[in-house]
Amino acid sequence: MTGPGTHGPSIRPGGATRPETTALLEIRDLHAGYGAANVLQGIDLTVARGEVVVVLGANGAGKTTLMRAIAGLIPHTGEILVDGAGVGRSRPDLMLGRGIGLVPQGRGTLTDMTVRDNLRVGAVTRKDKAGVAEDIEKWCGVFPRLAKRREQVAGTLSGGEQQMLAIARAMMSRPRLLLCDEVSLGLAPIVVQELFGVLAGVNSDSGTALLLVEQNAELALEVAARVYLLEVGSVAATGPAEEFRTNDAIRRAYLGY
Amino acid sequence: MDIFFDRLFSGLTAGSLYTLIALSLVVVFRSSKTINFAQGEFALFCCFIAWWLTTKGLPIIVALIPAMLVGFLLGVVTERTLIRPVRRRSETAVLIVGLGLFTGLNGLDGWIWGPANKQFPEMLPSGDSDYFLVGGARLHYDSIGIFLIMLLVVGLLSLLFNKTSLGLRMRAVATNAESASLSGVKVGTVLSMSWGISAAISALAGILLVPVLPPNELDLSSFFSILIFASAAALFGGLDSVKGAVVGGLGLGVAESMLNGYATFLGGSLQLTVALVIIVLVLVFKPTGLFGARRVERV
Repeated sequence: MTGPGTHGPSIRPGGATRPETTALLEIRDLHAGYGAANVLQGIDLTVARGEVVVVLGANGAGKTTLMRAIAGLIPHTGEILVDGAGVGRSRPDLMLGRGIGLVPQGRGTLTDMTVRDNLRVGAVTRKDKAGVAEDIEKWCGVFPRLAKRREQVAGTLSGGEQQMLAIARAMMSRPRLLLCDEVSLGLAPIVVQELFGVLAGVNSDSGTALLLVEQNAELALEVAARVYLLEVGSVAATGPAEEFRTNDAIRRAYLGY
Repeated sequence: MDIFFDRLFSGLTAGSLYTLIALSLVVVFRSSKTINFAQGEFALFCCFIAWWLTTKGLPIIVALIPAMLVGFLLGVVTERTLIRPVRRRSETAVLIVGLGLFTGLNGLDGWIWGPANKQFPEMLPSGDSDYFLVGGARLHYDSIGIFLIMLLVVGLLSLLFNKTSLGLRMRAVATNAESASLSGVKVGTVLSMSWGISAAISALAGILLVPVLPPNELDLSSFFSILIFASAAALFGGLDSVKGAVVGGLGLGVAESMLNGYATFLGGSLQLTVALVIIVLVLVFKPTGLFGARRVERV
């Protein structure tokens, strides 16, 4: 266990919490998988408030499993702490309640429902009707292609539009940490550029932290501050994105470009 | 012409009842992706509750309320205790649980209330003189009542699905449960509510149905054939479509009634076969039914 001073609920004498020393998300010795197949073999990972972190790794390294475990879609052993407090049972609605949302691989489009209804579903945990309506307009402003298709059934959108919808829908719950699983998968470079631009904006405007899983390492390293490299279910390397960008040896060894 | 109207009215009455049961099948199918074979037995159990309450002196129109509530609870408890544990395994497992529930509930009814048929009171006016003459045929008040109640239920369901937060969550779960859960939808709650609402509709349908379909008494086998008709209607219209249940239910009711009236050589004993033939034809030629989601998707 590394990372001195960032563990545990940091309640000081007098009861004042020190949020700045507690990571938004902290994962210790995480194991998770499907049935008997244990994909993750003890992952340690932290994300600070407002930080952009990217998880890189080859196919089968366990990136998607990691995201699904954090989001509460699959059970785990080990600890997942949000603001220093452990989460109980694996349940997506509980994780969302703690401020952690996932844009799943494959986008999770509610194909039979309109774009507007997809966005409304994204806000089911919110009580402020007026705020929800405002946010729908806001995201239609961010993605003008969605605005034009507001009343269209989401299954008829293009892949890029569905990915925009997935991001907008996840943001409707106003998460503090957005997990994005392979946002760029199968999309044209120009669309990927737009999506990453929006994600960078989400981070800088509202301070939403991002944990990105990406195949497109070059692009991911441009927006991320820190990197975790997964190899067969474990963290093989971690450090500032800068190092991964500039160090040719690391790049060749781990990223293959 | 009077035969035509007579057949039409009787077909619309039966069709409205098929529609109601088909609607309850649709509500469950949308959430659990399976036909609940025990749906008719939910109705039967609630009819027994209503009948038992009337023997204690309650008018049937009052007994309807607790019977529908019992139906709602029966649906919720069934989903929570029997369906949810097997739901993640496979849809076939859910189907088998439904079959088990079908025989189990029927046995339970017989055990509690005995095998003899029960005189069942009619909720709507059904006296010999309670009718209009339309085109020489009798249009009974209870037929009108059943038709209107069916329309009311359709209207309420449409409002539920399209205008309420629960309806939004129900549609989301019907489309993609895992994705809905990522937006914070409590999938379990939505499924329980779906089963509850569905069973309550079945209870209402049963209480309307028992007095008007032969033998006009409460019988342990009252709902065997009804479930087949309703399944045929729901399949025909599209198992996930409210509109489909209405068109399928009314269409099947009228078709069956016309066949009975005009194709007399069939001897009135082939209706079940007709329903089953419809099921097979739909499964072969248009598995999504008339209005079922075609799942247009681009990737």
